[in-house]
Amino acid sequence: MSVAERLLIGRLKARDEHAFNDIVRLYGDKVFSLVYRMIGNRSEAEDIAQEVFVTVFKTVDGFRGESKFSTWLLRIAANHCKNRIKYLSRRHTDGGELDDEREGAVLTRGGSPLQSHIAAPDVMLEAAELEGLMQVAIAALEEEHRLLVVLRDVEELSYQEIGEITGLAEGTIKSRLHRARMAIKEHLDKHTR
Amino acid sequence: MDHQKASDLFSDYLDGTIAGAAKSELEQHLHVCIQCRTELEGFRRAVGSLGKLKKPAPASFLPAIQNQIFTRSRGRFFGRRWKLFGRIPFEWVSLAMIVAMLIYYIALQHASPAGVRVAP
Repeated sequence: MSVAERLLIGRLKARDEHAFNDIVRLYGDKVFSLVYRMIGNRSEAEDIAQEVFVTVFKTVDGFRGESKFSTWLLRIAANHCKNRIKYLSRRHTDGGELDDEREGAVLTRGGSPLQSHIAAPDVMLEAAELEGLMQVAIAALEEEHRLLVVLRDVEELSYQEIGEITGLAEGTIKSRLHRARMAIKEHLDKHTR
Repeated sequence: MDHQKASDLFSDYLDGTIAGAAKSELEQHLHVCIQCRTELEGFRRAVGSLGKLKKPAPASFLPAIQNQIFTRSRGRFFGRRWKLFGRIPFEWVSLAMIVAMLIYYIALQHASPAGVRVAP
């Protein structure tokens, strides 16, 4: 942990509001991005990401600096996501509340007669549609695989950081991540051909 | 090397965590196998697309958290620690009271009743 980060955490522990704001500015995008890709719904993601920072603020006294602060923060975010996914699956809403991006993917996938002869799939798949398609592919993964894909390929964390967040051994991470990536590739192949 | 073995190595190959004989063997296979080359290209495209999925937090994110913390703590969470009757640590208050009582006790002990005459 860098000296600047250590000082920032010290200020946060002293309940310095500016330090808290700095933490949210520094890590807000990372946390929101992780949560959004895990959950797939913007308003849910906003709620959870806010809850993550409230938890961080409430429990920062217990942070001993044994790992990077960002790792500790993302572990909290991952746990919040898991809990919410379990809660949502109990409510039988799983997969039914993805954002509009998914709609874009569904439209693309539907391939209306008009669309089908306009252009090649690569051209048709505009950025938003591709994003929607990828989001659907991520949402179709098991929760643990989803987390690994998001941490590694979306957030670009190292295997060591992912190990600290998930508590999994590197070999396990690699094999599960490979299966998850293959599943995403299959999904993409299936819906863009 | 067969297709399955080659595809099992795609992740390591993209991550750059494969080296030596295994890497050479895979590359030799890719050189002669168009099916695996196509598979690898699709795999690379899928992983590359994931890298473009970062989502920034909305502009209202920080104010929303501040508001939530303020509401939950009824405005007592930030910066009140050092204000009078705010969040002065209990230990400090106890220590101050003990010192005050000690001073009072010592003052009582040393207060000689000079003007007081004992009745015969």
